[in-house]
Amino acid sequence: MSEFQRFLAKRIGISVLLTLVAVSVIFFTLRLLPGSPFTQLVASGNLTEQQVREIMQLYGLNRPLSEQYLAYLRNLLTFQFGYSIRQSRPVWEILGPKLLNTLVLLIPALVCTAILSTLLGMVAGWNRGSWLETGSIVTTTFFRSTPVFISALGFIIVFAYTFNLVPAFGMRDITVTPNGVGAYFSIDFLHHYILPFTVAMLYYSGDFLLLARNGIVERKGSAFLKLHRAKGLSETEQLWRAGRNSLLPVLTYFALRLGMVFQGLILLEVVFGWPGIGRQLVTSIAQQDYPVVQAAVFLMALAVIIMNLVADVLSAYFDPTVSMGGGN
Amino acid sequence: MSVEFSRSTGDWLQTKASQVRTQLQFIAEDRPAFVSLVVLASFLFLGVFGPVIAPHEPIRYSVLSANGVIMRLHPPTLAAPLGTTAYGKDVLSQFLAGARPTLIVGLFGGIATGGIGFLVGLVSGYYGGWVDEVLMRLTDLTFSLPFMPMALLLLTFIRPNIWIITLIIAAFLWKMPARVVRSEVLSIRERTFVKSARASGASDFRTMFGHVAPNVLPIGFLYTAYGVAWSIAAQASLAFLGFGDPTTTSWGRMLRQLFASGSIRVAWWWVLPPALGIAAVTTSVFLIGRAYEEIINPEINDHQ
Repeated sequence: MSEFQRFLAKRIGISVLLTLVAVSVIFFTLRLLPGSPFTQLVASGNLTEQQVREIMQLYGLNRPLSEQYLAYLRNLLTFQFGYSIRQSRPVWEILGPKLLNTLVLLIPALVCTAILSTLLGMVAGWNRGSWLETGSIVTTTFFRSTPVFISALGFIIVFAYTFNLVPAFGMRDITVTPNGVGAYFSIDFLHHYILPFTVAMLYYSGDFLLLARNGIVERKGSAFLKLHRAKGLSETEQLWRAGRNSLLPVLTYFALRLGMVFQGLILLEVVFGWPGIGRQLVTSIAQQDYPVVQAAVFLMALAVIIMNLVADVLSAYFDPTVSMGGGN
Repeated sequence: MSVEFSRSTGDWLQTKASQVRTQLQFIAEDRPAFVSLVVLASFLFLGVFGPVIAPHEPIRYSVLSANGVIMRLHPPTLAAPLGTTAYGKDVLSQFLAGARPTLIVGLFGGIATGGIGFLVGLVSGYYGGWVDEVLMRLTDLTFSLPFMPMALLLLTFIRPNIWIITLIIAAFLWKMPARVVRSEVLSIRERTFVKSARASGASDFRTMFGHVAPNVLPIGFLYTAYGVAWSIAAQASLAFLGFGDPTTTSWGRMLRQLFASGSIRVAWWWVLPPALGIAAVTTSVFLIGRAYEEIINPEINDHQ
């Protein structure tokens, strides 16, 4: 085994272990804290004791904790999420479409902003001290540090309520019945899409901009650029050479952000009424719908673990000077 | 001997003081950072004195018109300089009183985040080996447990108050400073003065806190500041989702009531104070942090 293969094997092993631990933490948090999804129903008089017992049996909640735990592990790791308590349909039937809606919104936003703000950051770093540098840093820092629901509210007030340009809520007009892929390629959808997309893009822009800008600033005075200058390369060509060498942090950061896409913008979805997985999680928590909550949190954790692994492997592969010991 | 000692201490203090002065000067020269410093100072003032100077009790008091009717959703008037909420409460009083919980969660959340992270990073980087392995796997774990969902989950079972919220924030966010401090410690550990301290028989404890820690302190401070901004943002977000302390007014809670009551379409006077308050504070912390980062870390490493 080469050193890189050993490193890879160790990282994958750690990721699998982390998944197990994360899954267990979620399970025990839900079980050990007081309250169950049925106490509320019983208290409101909607269910009799007998019915509760039957339901508990149906969901396996009357079996010993250890048995429940093993069944739960087996099910999650084979992506069988069970049935929703409130909607009595398979959890995946509920979460699948929501997950798709989240990805349709956030992945294009992330990709666009990664490209645009990296380019802008490179130009800003190249022109140190210019108004462009200060302006772009202050603007993107504002959107990155302000909680996303506040910028979202601001955009809604200006563009939806004041200028009446776009709808403030939802993914499509209530009269529209979506069918198949076409549902994502209509003018109506685009109309609803543009505002949350813009806010998400602005929210993500700050880190990419700073990473790219810092990379350029760091390399601007370096020897190899002096060489390029001596060879008579134009400013743009020099910037391009310097940029290429500072793209690794941007790339690994992109992977980490991608992992957080599932959980990242719960508040954005809530404010815009976007029917994504984050908004579904908030609803399911309020309804104490355990199976849905479990599955949603599991998917969010899994995405982070996988993308962390990818980021580590990327930086080890492209920059072997980074130690491959994993922890040393 | 003692004279010499005190002289060298005096010198040390003087160099430290001049270092601090240079850093403050640097921040004053960076226009955005300077404005941010002013914003933060006003916020600190609001957090301490806001509830005292608030003209009315923020939750119980209702603004009444001349003929004794509760004024709901009223634009700014003399009786209520920032208008009223949908429930007839005084926006100015809520804004002033709401600064304090925001300040408390921000301050304590930030200090706890920075403090725990600093200690974990220091110990992990200094000892290396299995200590490092265990602590770093622990940070990986908190990285993989998504903050927002976990916080929501915990707060459905535990009745939220600002201390519980601070605790949850610190429990999930210390991982960021821990990683950064650790990587700094790794490079400092190899420097000559640390090696010679150990060679001359200083204990691990002494070397770690006497020689290594002072050199990573700036990074620790920086991430404590970022921790303040993260805590404020997290607290506001949780309150907006309805998981805030139900007994007090906070800026996040004001925005929740505004959004839930559906008045966002009309009541600009109700939106602006809390929204601008939160945005200004968190942005200020980050702008100062960024200016500071360029002093303590001229090479500007990436944010990993």
